[in-house]
Amino acid sequence: MLTNQEVAEELLREFEEDVYGFEEPYGMLTLTTTRGQIIPMLEFLFKHKKFQANFLTDLTGVHYPDTPGLEYAVVYHLHSLVHNFRLRIKVFLAEGDERIPTATTVYESANWMERETYDFFGIQFEGHPNLIRILNIEEMDYFPMRRQYPLEDTTREDKTDALFGR
Amino acid sequence: MKSIDIVEAPPGHTGSGFFATSFDEVIGIARSNSLWPLPFATSCCGIEFMATMGSHYDIARFGSERPSFSPRQADLLMVMGTIAKKMAPILKQVYIQMAEPRWVLAMGACASSGGIFDSYPVLQGIDRIIPVDVYVPGCPPRPEQVLEGLMQVQELARNESLRRRNSEQYQELMSSYNIQ
Amino acid sequence: METNYLPSGFLPIIVQFVLALGFIVATMIVTHNIGPSRKGKVKDDPFECGIEVVGDARTPISVKYFLVAILFVLFDVEVIFMYPWAVNFKQLGLFGFVEMTLFMTLLLCGFYYIIRKGVLKWEE
Repeated sequence: MLTNQEVAEELLREFEEDVYGFEEPYGMLTLTTTRGQIIPMLEFLFKHKKFQANFLTDLTGVHYPDTPGLEYAVVYHLHSLVHNFRLRIKVFLAEGDERIPTATTVYESANWMERETYDFFGIQFEGHPNLIRILNIEEMDYFPMRRQYPLEDTTREDKTDALFGR
Repeated sequence: MKSIDIVEAPPGHTGSGFFATSFDEVIGIARSNSLWPLPFATSCCGIEFMATMGSHYDIARFGSERPSFSPRQADLLMVMGTIAKKMAPILKQVYIQMAEPRWVLAMGACASSGGIFDSYPVLQGIDRIIPVDVYVPGCPPRPEQVLEGLMQVQELARNESLRRRNSEQYQELMSSYNIQ
Repeated sequence: METNYLPSGFLPIIVQFVLALGFIVATMIVTHNIGPSRKGKVKDDPFECGIEVVGDARTPISVKYFLVAILFVLFDVEVIFMYPWAVNFKQLGLFGFVEMTLFMTLLLCGFYYIIRKGVLKWEE
């Protein structure tokens, strides 16, 4: 039975100051790391004899426009099928510097998930074999999930602000 | 014993052993009572359509006995469900590859106008890309409403002129959607 | 029964055949010319579920199917030649027997050639 404490201690031992921000929202271990250490950390957790975190459940991004220097977060959800243990790793990137190495070298399933994160947030995954838009149309020239872009379709002419109390 | 309604005969000349009407009437009746649908089902409205195809709300009694997934042999394109902007060219291609005479039925709020998904990836109504004949609003519309929509398409099919596809109005309609 | 059939008695069959063919040809010509239709480049493309068509549907087929079919035809014809010989075996006597053996030997030489060439090996 793996515990959060065990995994946290192991990671601290291995990566010392590059892991920080340990939290446990709803009992799931969450930690933050740096762009340079994320792939070594994924590999460490994947190949670890005890933990065997062999399933990347999700890879997604978040845009926090209100924290300068830490605007974009790339979030990795790992799952160890052997121990039924889940782990969340966050990497914060600054505005204008949204590059991060790709996780496809460790997990094949990161391929499409990184394409989706690129499609919606514009985060460049270095080393990705085919980083193009996956869900939106190819002609789209902006990244829709960034907070500065509206959710609604902008081509409608029949909506007036009065209808929505604006 | 319930009485069974069959299609009424159109006005024409009856004699002993024969019945003569005009081509328009006969072909109109034939087309309207054998509309083969192409169920372009994307979302929840597709499930409602499956219910309509079932035996309780039978769509086959209206002549739509054979749903075809190839546009070459379909009369009626029923678009059921949310159409994303990425799906739009595919829908347009399927519509173009249908043979005349063809009708389009937009089922549900999403196909008619984007529905509740007023959002960047959703096409706000399929009439932005293809001409639509009948809209069936609802989210999802009940099978009875779908059958009402189908009956309205039947009405259109019965009264369609035989050379409509060569008429100027039709050509203008097609070119307004950039369809050759 | 000894009824004599004149060749001219078969005329109705030919007339029926010509009429059937003529009806088909005439109907096709008339409908293609009079019937309304619209053609377009996108409309006449092969249907590929709404996406662009890539390549054509031609795939190369192994030649072994053809070879087996041809060999079947050859040896089937040989067997057909053997049927009348088998029926009139007694009448044809020794001469016929020798003739047929010669015929079969020639064909069996071809068979030996085929086996040595490996045509009958189905799995390469």
